[in-house]
Amino acid sequence: MSLAEQNITLWGDDIPWLAGLREKGLIAFNKSGLPTAKTEAWKYSFKAVGQTENLQIDASAHECDGHCHHQCDLPFEAYQIHFCDGKLHGEHFDLPQGVSLKPLVEAIYDGDVKPYLNKSFDTENFPFAALNTAYLEQGFMLIIERGIVVDKPIFIRYHTEHNTDTFNNIRNIIVVESRAKAEIIEFFDGDSTGNFNNVVNEIFLAADSSLRHYKLQSESALTRHISFNSVQQKSNSSYKCFVAQKECILARHESYIKLLQEGAFAEVNGIYKLNENGVSDITTNIRHLAPHTTSNQLVKGVVDGHAKGVFQGQIHIAPEAQQTEGYQLHRALLLSDSGEVDCKPELEIFADDVKCSHGATCGDLDKEQLFYMQSRGINSEDARRILIEAYLQEVLNKIDNIEVAEWIKAQF
Amino acid sequence: MSEPILEIKNLSATVADKEIIKNLNLTINPGEVHALMGPNGAGKSTLSYILTGKPGYEVTGGEVMFCGKNLLAMKPDERACAGLFLSMQYPVAIPGVATNNFLKHALNAKRKYEGLPELDAAEFLKILRTEAKNLNIGADMLKREINVGFSGGEKKRMEILQMSLLKPSLAILDEADSGLDIDALKLVADGVNKLHNENNALLIITHHLDLLNHIQPDIVHIYADGHIVKSGDKSLAIELEKSGYKTFVDAE
Ligand SMILES: Nc1ncnc2c1ncn2[C@@H]1O[C@H](COP(=O)(O)OP(=O)(O)O)[C@@H](O)[C@H]1O
Ligand SMILES: [Mg+2]
Repeated sequence: MSLAEQNITLWGDDIPWLAGLREKGLIAFNKSGLPTAKTEAWKYSFKAVGQTENLQIDASAHECDGHCHHQCDLPFEAYQIHFCDGKLHGEHFDLPQGVSLKPLVEAIYDGDVKPYLNKSFDTENFPFAALNTAYLEQGFMLIIERGIVVDKPIFIRYHTEHNTDTFNNIRNIIVVESRAKAEIIEFFDGDSTGNFNNVVNEIFLAADSSLRHYKLQSESALTRHISFNSVQQKSNSSYKCFVAQKECILARHESYIKLLQEGAFAEVNGIYKLNENGVSDITTNIRHLAPHTTSNQLVKGVVDGHAKGVFQGQIHIAPEAQQTEGYQLHRALLLSDSGEVDCKPELEIFADDVKCSHGATCGDLDKEQLFYMQSRGINSEDARRILIEAYLQEVLNKIDNIEVAEWIKAQF
Repeated sequence: MSEPILEIKNLSATVADKEIIKNLNLTINPGEVHALMGPNGAGKSTLSYILTGKPGYEVTGGEVMFCGKNLLAMKPDERACAGLFLSMQYPVAIPGVATNNFLKHALNAKRKYEGLPELDAAEFLKILRTEAKNLNIGADMLKREINVGFSGGEKKRMEILQMSLLKPSLAILDEADSGLDIDALKLVADGVNKLHNENNALLIITHHLDLLNHIQPDIVHIYADGHIVKSGDKSLAIELEKSGYKTFVDAE
């Protein structure tokens, strides 16, 4: 069974517009196919996608045996939402006034989703997002209403533990209305092997809104994980994303951000740490489409063994986007001869009054620093660990919520 | 007489394939303070790195015993845990590592080596505060990243703070007086004197009599061209101050 020909029945195939949308996704995927060496946006990581013949979407109803009820033990307070083996658990969620979350199918049924679903990107350009559209069903729609400041982070755990060779296709819609503020944390964990997560988040930030988006990818080393984050930002909105990726066959976090109106601000920071054979891919495309928009990116990674770290960062500045600033820096520690680090910055600047920069470094741990620590009695293994931690700490320091930063660090 | 702390016999060493140390002999006994003086580029820092085991500095001959153990067979961190300390001429900055964390790692590494339990944060801070106060090092400095943006004098005081915490059997001070004003020099010297007793020893590398007026040496060595050309008491340092290295180096 190939990914394009899953023999399944999805909810709502009798709703014409939904069936049409799925059809559109499938056509787009069939046209592009799986990424190859020639697919520019995938040229460094297409191989890690690997075999997809055995992958199967589990379209059966979610039957919870209770194992996923338990809340994550967190050192901070949070509203917790759970996915078990790719399926949203529950229908009613304990959330404060002005915050609503429903299963995607319910939002489709109610019609709430129509102004947003598949409206933020073009399926033709993103093969896995196209596939995600073809099999739309699992996921949620989250709305933070106008002016609401959510008091605690909304913690979304995607836990896998039962299935293998399952294609978890998840689509979330996140709407932050004007002047609203929220923090979401996405936590992917579990022991399932052979799973393939294909997540698409469509995020809409209205004027003067703010979203802090933290993501920790911490699944079994034998999973593949692709997450596509399409963000649309209105005037003076602020989106700050922090992503942390650990060893796994493929972990790809792609941000596709459109700064549509003046004063919009976006930041994508990240860290990754690979020890063996894994591939971490952080790909960004930040599109400055209005004047006075700003973006920052800082990604740091550690690559050991036969692993591979990829950073592709595109900054596009449209002709009308004057007085725009876009900064990007990728730094990697390459600790072995057989590891690989690939960095591809791409600046497309069509306006003249802009401040833009990009940079990339790749090197080993500093020998003077290592010796200094050893000369104080710290053994080389500990010294290396401390230096690596210090290296990544610079990025963790950029997280606004210190408790969340500490938690991510402790898990990493 | 008790066993020497350090015994260097016929030591030769190279850096970047250049022979820097040539047939050096030096014995340091418990309780002694040795001063090593010599022109720039003579190889004094090289000797300190050879003793502490810095990669890239290669021993080509001779042997070094440290408290009865073959020093050259030990890893740098083992040498430190066994009681060897080097106050570096150029201490290294480590961005991202807070000074107090760094010091805690160092002290706990030594305690672990000695079979003592590791100190928790509170116990450690108590010890740290007392030692830091003696060197006029405030809490602000301890929170900063180690040696990052420290002034010359701050770096040297930080080296002495580490020495005070680790209480080595042999401390090598490589130009611990460079870049220090009079007050800081006194703080550093007081710190060193406080630690010194009949069971440990000091090897002081310096160009200046000032430091030796604060820390009284038992033996002064003049070091040139990779080995010791003359040894004597403190009067040798005074003579050197007057006439410079030239007479000694030429006399060879
Ligand atoms: N890492 C190194 N690579 C190449 N040459 C070095 C290195 N370290 C020291 N040297 C050389 O060794 C000699 C002795 O240097 P050093 O030990 O620093 O002298 P001193 O401390 O007595 O001033 C100098 O000629 C110096 O240039
Ligand atoms: Mg020197």
